[in-house]
Amino acid sequence: MKKGLVIIGAGIIGVMTALNLVEKGYRDIVIVEKKYPGSGGSFRCATGIRASFTSLEHVELMKRSIQLWPLLSEKYNIPYARHGYVWLFTREEDLEMFRCIVDFHNKNGVPTRIVSPEEIAELVPTIKTDQLVGGVYDPLAGKASCFKALLNPLAYILRKGVKLVESTTVYKVLIESGRARGVLTDKGVIEADKVLVAAGYGSKKILRESIGVDLGLRNIPKHALITEGYQGVFKPLLIDWETSSYIVQVLHGGFLIGSSLPEEPDKPPRSRLKYPVKAVNVWIRYFPWLAYTNIMRYWTGYYVMTPDHHPLIGPLSTVENLYIATGFSGHGFMMSPAVGEVMANYILGEKPNVPLVEHLLPDRIIKGRLVKEIAVFG
Amino acid sequence: MPGSSYRIVEHPVISFKRGRRVVFYYNDRPVEAYIGETILAALYAAGYRVFSYSLDGKRPRGAFCMIGKCGSCLSIVDGVPNTRICIEPVREGVRVYRQEGLPTAPLSKNVVEPVEWEEAEADALIIGGGPAGLIAAKTLGELGLDVVVVDDQPRLGGQLVKQTHRFFGSREYWGGIRGYVIAEKLAREIMGMKNVRVILQGYAYGIYSDNRVGVAVRNPLKHVIVKPKMILAGTGACEKTLWFENNDLPGIMGAGGAQTLMNEYGVRPGDEALVIGSGNVGLIVTYQLLQAGVRVKGLAEIMDHIGGWFVHAAKIRRLGVEFYFKHTIIKAIGSDRVEKAVIAEMDENYQPIPGSEKVFDVDLVLLAVGLQPNYSLFSQAGAAMKYVPELGGLVPVRTWFMETSIPGLYVAGDSSGVEEATTAFIEGEIAALSIALRLGAGNRGVLIEKRRKLLDYLWKEYRQSPVVSRARMGKLKVTVSEEEMEKIRRGEA
Ligand SMILES: Cc1cc2nc3c(=O)[nH]c(=O)nc-3n(C[C@H](O)[C@H](O)[C@H](O)COP(=O)(O)OP(=O)(O)OC[C@H]3O[C@@H](n4cnc5c(N)ncnc54)[C@H](O)[C@@H]3O)c2cc1C
Repeated sequence: MKKGLVIIGAGIIGVMTALNLVEKGYRDIVIVEKKYPGSGGSFRCATGIRASFTSLEHVELMKRSIQLWPLLSEKYNIPYARHGYVWLFTREEDLEMFRCIVDFHNKNGVPTRIVSPEEIAELVPTIKTDQLVGGVYDPLAGKASCFKALLNPLAYILRKGVKLVESTTVYKVLIESGRARGVLTDKGVIEADKVLVAAGYGSKKILRESIGVDLGLRNIPKHALITEGYQGVFKPLLIDWETSSYIVQVLHGGFLIGSSLPEEPDKPPRSRLKYPVKAVNVWIRYFPWLAYTNIMRYWTGYYVMTPDHHPLIGPLSTVENLYIATGFSGHGFMMSPAVGEVMANYILGEKPNVPLVEHLLPDRIIKGRLVKEIAVFG
Repeated sequence: MPGSSYRIVEHPVISFKRGRRVVFYYNDRPVEAYIGETILAALYAAGYRVFSYSLDGKRPRGAFCMIGKCGSCLSIVDGVPNTRICIEPVREGVRVYRQEGLPTAPLSKNVVEPVEWEEAEADALIIGGGPAGLIAAKTLGELGLDVVVVDDQPRLGGQLVKQTHRFFGSREYWGGIRGYVIAEKLAREIMGMKNVRVILQGYAYGIYSDNRVGVAVRNPLKHVIVKPKMILAGTGACEKTLWFENNDLPGIMGAGGAQTLMNEYGVRPGDEALVIGSGNVGLIVTYQLLQAGVRVKGLAEIMDHIGGWFVHAAKIRRLGVEFYFKHTIIKAIGSDRVEKAVIAEMDENYQPIPGSEKVFDVDLVLLAVGLQPNYSLFSQAGAAMKYVPELGGLVPVRTWFMETSIPGLYVAGDSSGVEEATTAFIEGEIAALSIALRLGAGNRGVLIEKRRKLLDYLWKEYRQSPVVSRARMGKLKVTVSEEEMEKIRRGEA
């Protein structure tokens, strides 16, 4: 049976795209998922949401997302809170650099500001500020439940007639005379008019098999851990700039820590003892009591990186009816509401709701038109 | 009621040696205890039954597993929340508070205590000091290998320490000896070997990429990073629960939980009990309840026949315990502890037959409905796993020599699929011999011959008995040849 649209991947991007299409009345969709919904990056993420980026493309996309998050939260009962981000600096030169970034933000409608160690202590109860020279506060930033954000809209679109096929791997997009016509899976062919590749870490391989190039995608292994749950201690997500680490008390109470370790791209992630050791050591300097909490889980996942750390979103000019939404470089969760919206625009032949995303068309990689962004953490 | 004592003074089999008397504080009230007891055992002896409240703060939770596997006794000990008091030894003056709902973070701790770090090398690391681990430690220790044994409990022996009955089977596999006596004997032998190091209250929290294993040790705090050449994990199993109304009421306990209280700590788990499940665990625990002075008002079994060995059943029947076949529990009643339990007869679709309900006035309901392997270390390490209902749940796929798909990581005992102590001993020894052969210890021919005999006995005799056919089927489903395992490792199977 031929479908209108096949979405490869039931991650937050695939689901949000389908949600927007359903809301616009387009329901002839099948989502093909290798394992189970959320099993890729989406359930492994740190749930952080911010518009304080250093490129206009990111800022515009995220401003739209931050308009949408509260609406989605209301409509689909997704826990979401505008609890802010605080960047912590232990070196003067980092603080200096951020003064320019804050200027850039403020000019573009993102209300970040430089804060003193005293203000940090007020924003972040119990933090030890003795090593800090200052910070940057982003009150517009926030967090949401990554589980509810995916599962609640998914339940809704399934009720509306969208099909979900789980435990099925897509090998490649079938292309005939320059036009997508379906996908080949380990369980057979699914025919469709249009195909969206939203397969997270799996996109690289699918693209290579389908169009011969991987558009510069690289899967970088990342590590995260979470403690058992506690009552609220501090609200903002904190970034320790010097060690490229973050900590956030997620909405269900655990402290989630991410911290970067040098990793080779495209290697299967491995759990390393070094990781919890580093993660804990960074944060017990700020929060000694954290040493008395229990780590509940440690997991790995991928940041799907592009050469310019900006996502690939939109149609591919060389293959008709083939769409791509991947390469979120560690920020796909926060962007998903706006990305879902613009992908629905593209698929329905409309102009994207956020005009600047036209700079993020996948072809730019082949054409060498890269966008610049420096703020990537963890 | 707090204040009255549930400590057992006279017992037909065990004589309880209690340590020095100390006093600690529970919710600011003094509680008497003896060194060697856990906090929960002492509280239970004093009559406490509610040890925490559910995350929404509304439902009381009592003791359930008593071996640090479930979350129903999470408490605040010396300012540290989420401490499992069922495995936390009492100390003079320690302050313990009941946790009600999501705890506050331990904010009163504003200094990081220095924790000693140690990196230890070993030929073999054995995680879990139950029957599988103990026999492996002995085998490898006698071959002169450097062995580290880690167990999260305050003493060695695993579930053997609470088995007061005599084991069946041939003398060679401890037939006729009581479980805890075997544990004591093996523990003594192992502790006496210079090349075997035992770390108690040590939690092996992960097996990492370069074959390093992190061990968090309590009392005193220490972080030991073990870098072994080979690992045997015999992490045991934990009790399953059942679905019925109010199944979380204090007084509803895993059968093993009750055994820990009465047989290890000499604390009577209740006055009047109902037991659910007539497998060997249910039968044995019923007998032990009687020995501990608990009245057993009935034993419900959902099947129409006894699940365990007939001799055990005959023994408790002679003592007047009533069996209810084709019955199971459908409801517990009580406000903050069990006061009544309701069982009902099941129709052929295992649905309760209306009007068949029977109500028991009991303060203890023991669930003896099977165990689930403690698989988390294996899946954390990335071993190929399989869900096998006959074995109680998720278990690692292994070769006939007990090696998992992670080269050098072996499994034995209940964590390889729930059976019982005898098979745990045999699997532990097979794994140990395989490790020794890998490391080139001992006389190769002798070890191979010994292993062959064990394998023969295990598969061609012991597991041939119809009583264990289910477990045998289960084990066959996850045991593969060396060639097959290589395929799994290469991702081809
Ligand atoms: C540790 C960590 C922390 C993070 N923190 C944040 C954060 O704070 N904020 C933020 O915005 N982002 C964060 N991210 C990034 C975010 O998780 C991802 O960008 C986002 O989840 C991407 O969503 P997705 O739908 O594109 O991909 P995924 O969620 O990975 O979904 C892709 C799906 O495709 C499936 N798939 C793959 N290959 C195939 C195939 N061949 N056939 C069929 N299905 C296939 C996968 O199983 C998967 O379910 C973090 C990521 C990690 C790893």
